[in-house]
Amino acid sequence: MPGLFDRLDKEIKDKQREGGITPLDLAALPPSLRKIMRLMLRELSMSYPRMCEVMDAMPEADRLPRAELDSVLSELTDQFWLIRIGEKEKAIYKVNLRRKEGSKLAAGIWSALDNKLKGKSPGSL
Amino acid sequence: MTGKIVSIHSFRGGTGKSNAASNLAAQVALTGRRVGVVDTDIQSPGIHVLFGLDEQKMGKTLNDFLHGKAAIREVGYPVGQNTGGGEGRDKLAGKELYLFPSSIKGREISQILKDGVDFNRLNEGLQTAISEFNLDYLFIDTHPGLNEETLLSIATSDILIIILRPDNQDFQGTSVTVDIARSLDVPNLFLAVNKALPKHMNRPEFNKEIERLFNAAVISVMPLSFDMAENASQDLFSLRFPDHEWSKALKDIVPYILNAK
Repeated sequence: MPGLFDRLDKEIKDKQREGGITPLDLAALPPSLRKIMRLMLRELSMSYPRMCEVMDAMPEADRLPRAELDSVLSELTDQFWLIRIGEKEKAIYKVNLRRKEGSKLAAGIWSALDNKLKGKSPGSL
Repeated sequence: MTGKIVSIHSFRGGTGKSNAASNLAAQVALTGRRVGVVDTDIQSPGIHVLFGLDEQKMGKTLNDFLHGKAAIREVGYPVGQNTGGGEGRDKLAGKELYLFPSSIKGREISQILKDGVDFNRLNEGLQTAISEFNLDYLFIDTHPGLNEETLLSIATSDILIIILRPDNQDFQGTSVTVDIARSLDVPNLFLAVNKALPKHMNRPEFNKEIERLFNAAVISVMPLSFDMAENASQDLFSLRFPDHEWSKALKDIVPYILNAK
């Protein structure tokens, strides 16, 4: 029987399939949104109280006021660029990057290549 | 998260990016820091060669991690315990340097091209490598040019070092990379010129002109070297020939990494 962690992990993974931000989109974000996304890229997941702590520890010029932080988190969550599990003070946020799509070449090309490469060592490629 | 991510990037191939990345990682490891090197050039991996790793020695790879077949702790190859016998690499014996290689098997490379890349998983791998191996620095050897993997590594970097040659094609491409890095708020952005001609060496006005062009600090000018070419990626050049002009120029970069905020 799955435990709490397994259920949360599944919930996050299901939500991550629903979209996400591309690395190129990150460059186009307004500064306040990008600040949070860069932070989340490094931390992977973070609770709301922890995020407030981190924000309070930043130099004043880099800090987002609490209302702006809430607004940024709300916008990022609405776009599915951050995933939120739980509500308000108990919320945990996790970054959601869009998967890089695979090749659009016909499947037959890949299976033919796969057959060619079977058992070949790098030196014989 | 205290370990710093150092991305080594170039807009074009052939700039000596992997040589610079591996030698810098080795030099930082020699100072006693715990260092990781990730080969995110999944389409054309190569940095493993400089660490003396071949298909026989290569265990789990970044590809295995991306496909959920291995944990990142299984991918880290301890170079300090397996230096591969090169005269330069042997100086890393006992040092904390871990290589996270990409697969060199044709089928596994083609599988990535076919299936794409789960960026949540890739980013999780980078960050988890830092925490699980308690790294001070994680070097990322990126694919040349700008693709999504490269942008992700730039976006998550504390330090970005762009390697360029004194070549007009490199200059134009580097300009694009610098613009994107700035828009991704990379805190420390540096330029290093490689394969410089004798007329460019020890010429402050050359450095100033590049700094003016890109509005970024030039922290090293490394000479075009036949000795480097002769080394043919068989060993870590700056460890094997520490007094060589190229090695000295490369070592100029190290304090910028160690002192970056």
